[in-house]
Amino acid sequence: MLRFFLIRALRAFMTIVLVVTFAFVVLRLSGDPALIIMGPEAPPDAIIAFRKAWGLDQPIWIQYLSYFGAILGGDLGISMRDGQSAISLVMDRIPATLQLTVPALILKLMIGIPSGVYAALHRDSAVDRGVMAGAVIGFTMPSFVFGLILVLLFSVTWGLLPSGGRDSWMHAILPIVTMSIGGAGILARFSRSAMIEILGQPYMRTASAKGLPWRRVIWEHAFPNAAIPIVTITGFMVGTLIAGAVVVESLFSWPGIGRLLVVSVSNRDLAVVQCILLMVAATMVISNFVVDILYGYLDPRLRNNQARH
Amino acid sequence: MVNFTRRSTLGLGAAAAGSLILPRFSIAQADQRPSITVAVQKISNSNTLDTLREQSNVGTRIFNSSLWETLIGTKWLSDLTATPGLATEWRRIDDKTLELKLRQGVKFHNGDEMTAEDVVFSFSKERMFGNTQPSTGKTIFVTEKNPLGRESKELPVEIPAVARRFWPALLGVEIVDKYTVRFVNGSSDVTMEGRLSAVASAIASRRAWDESKSYLDWARKPITTGPYKVAEFKPDTYLIYESHDQYWGGLPALKRIRFVEVPEVASRINGLLSGEYDLASDIPPDQIQGIEKNAGFEVLGGTITNHRLTVFDKTHPQLANPLVRRAFTHAIDRQAIVDSLWAGRTKVPAGLQWDFYADMLIKDWKVPEYNPELARKLLKDAGYKGDPIPYRLLNNYYTNQTPTAQVLVEMWNQVGLNVQIEMKENWQQILEKTPTRAVRDWSNSANFSDPVSSIVAQHGPNGQQQQVGEWTNEEMNTLSNFMETSTDRAKRREAFARMLQICERDDPAYTVLHQNAVFTAKSKKTKWKAAASFAMDFRAGNWG
Repeated sequence: MLRFFLIRALRAFMTIVLVVTFAFVVLRLSGDPALIIMGPEAPPDAIIAFRKAWGLDQPIWIQYLSYFGAILGGDLGISMRDGQSAISLVMDRIPATLQLTVPALILKLMIGIPSGVYAALHRDSAVDRGVMAGAVIGFTMPSFVFGLILVLLFSVTWGLLPSGGRDSWMHAILPIVTMSIGGAGILARFSRSAMIEILGQPYMRTASAKGLPWRRVIWEHAFPNAAIPIVTITGFMVGTLIAGAVVVESLFSWPGIGRLLVVSVSNRDLAVVQCILLMVAATMVISNFVVDILYGYLDPRLRNNQARH
Repeated sequence: MVNFTRRSTLGLGAAAAGSLILPRFSIAQADQRPSITVAVQKISNSNTLDTLREQSNVGTRIFNSSLWETLIGTKWLSDLTATPGLATEWRRIDDKTLELKLRQGVKFHNGDEMTAEDVVFSFSKERMFGNTQPSTGKTIFVTEKNPLGRESKELPVEIPAVARRFWPALLGVEIVDKYTVRFVNGSSDVTMEGRLSAVASAIASRRAWDESKSYLDWARKPITTGPYKVAEFKPDTYLIYESHDQYWGGLPALKRIRFVEVPEVASRINGLLSGEYDLASDIPPDQIQGIEKNAGFEVLGGTITNHRLTVFDKTHPQLANPLVRRAFTHAIDRQAIVDSLWAGRTKVPAGLQWDFYADMLIKDWKVPEYNPELARKLLKDAGYKGDPIPYRLLNNYYTNQTPTAQVLVEMWNQVGLNVQIEMKENWQQILEKTPTRAVRDWSNSANFSDPVSSIVAQHGPNGQQQQVGEWTNEEMNTLSNFMETSTDRAKRREAFARMLQICERDDPAYTVLHQNAVFTAKSKKTKWKAAASFAMDFRAGNWG
């Protein structure tokens, strides 16, 4: 078991190093923060002074080493754009993003899994077709299109909900619904196909044949076995809790991590981008780790395999 | 002896209650001014409200006429000419010295009265110049009162550089008396009045600076004299101004202004139509018709002091011959661009100059005529063989940038120019000195009413185009120096005319495409006038 943890920890560390290095190289080679932050009409001497002050006049490998050294020392750097520490900027935005992504995740689970399971249990019925049609529309329609339609209906036409901003809980409704719909569609499809596959297994016939009530057959034999792909997908969704709202945050003027990421990337504000990437990578790694543990819980064969390692 | 009956006691009680209630009621009644919400694409690029740090159009919008004020003001709602601001009068002592009488009774947002000391501070090394020195001589520092905690207020490195661009030869500001100051320049400069009207020369409270814990604290809530004071600023999210009721220019029109950052155009428009926003700024021209289809809404605005240009790199082999660059300039049907992409709501200006230049305006100057035949002849004379000419392009950094580029490339192709668009992501990629740098886009502004603020600042020896090595011209550089130091207005005018001739005809550095314009959508019920600038004026008289 210790080996299992160590391998995953090492893998997580390497993932984070690769993410940090890749982001550094791409961001630094694709644009000069001085010129981008100060704009095309900035006096050339101001740009030179800015570059010197932030070490941008140094060779890129020196910049990388000093940056990486600082990260290892726990210093995630200062935002070139506004001179604040990157971590404080990021931490300031996380609550706003979680206010959207956590309810959206819950909504995805609450809509997606029951509807997928219900559709599987009523395969080829009108309900099944309706659920699947809704799911396909949900996950194929881009969130910015869906969001605009919702705004057009609920804000502009009916005046029921605000179209953007973060002034009250009412402002969160449209972005949460927009974010939920695609994920709910994906979960519905996965749940349906996983359940259909399990319902066709011989042990399901055995369970029915030995006289178990249908409800117990579904809840004790079918659902746990169908849960593995659902847990995998849910794990990915949990992993994107922090950075998964870029488009929706822009569309609804929601001041979260997604918008900070867009602004920071376009300004080549390296420290902030790296800080966000580290958070996202860490969330992904933790989420994957939890999913691995859940696999073992759901499937004894995997649990025994993990224990042997 | 006073007799208290039940009736009189009740009456007294009512009167007492009334005395408590009435003042509040009367205040409330007196302050029936509206609070509004303005949706903007961007509040501040630098996340500060410092005029020297935020050198952008979006800064102009939130600073000018609302927060920051200058000694010499600008008539924002008319012709942008100079008007008394925080100074009531000014006179030249000599070619290098300007004396100004300060307006008395002007209150900062912290209640302090503005005096000469605040003016000196606003042009000091602490606030502006850091350790830089003027181009001529050494800085005179007249007053150095015990700074409180200034050691933690190190200026961001770019501020002194920006400040020196605005005031390259300013030696210092002298206090004559509490309400009189003298600006002393190291060289003759007829543009001192103009420089004083630029927002970079705005006046800040010395005490507020001293009391701020850090530069960032100060720069996010500067204490100024403007009609509105900063109540709250959440970078990238919102900025709330509140009325500065002691404003010298009369009670501001609004109780509160809330600028909210709404990056998506569709979201700004939807928010306006649903009644969440009172004004929606940064409306692209192609959305105007759609908004105005709603009977209750209209789009205001128009040209601003910013021109869109196509810029040439004459070190590129295909552009070394000025005839080829001239062919570019004659192949453009500018009016067609204005009519088709801007719905006719901007104009083709008379070269790189603006009406508010007043006596420095070269009235008979025009952009090169649209003459495809002439363009073809010039290319033939230049011996151009159709070799490809790269055109580095950003995706709509400027309004309508990409469609304009596509139209331009077609127009150039019509006369035989083989121009090929290369999409770039940012300004470094645009300006990078490599063999593929040839043609690019730019825009030029005028910060004050003199050619020094534009053609000299942007295309002269210290301007970006020469600094990045795209273009240079010896005569232009001599004339730039002359423009900055001469006080003979007639000769300066001649020099400016010659500069236009060089930069736009003889040895084209750029060609002007059209004047830029900015549009704001609003309900027709809202009585508000847009300025001929990015600045949004909410002072008394411009709302309701």
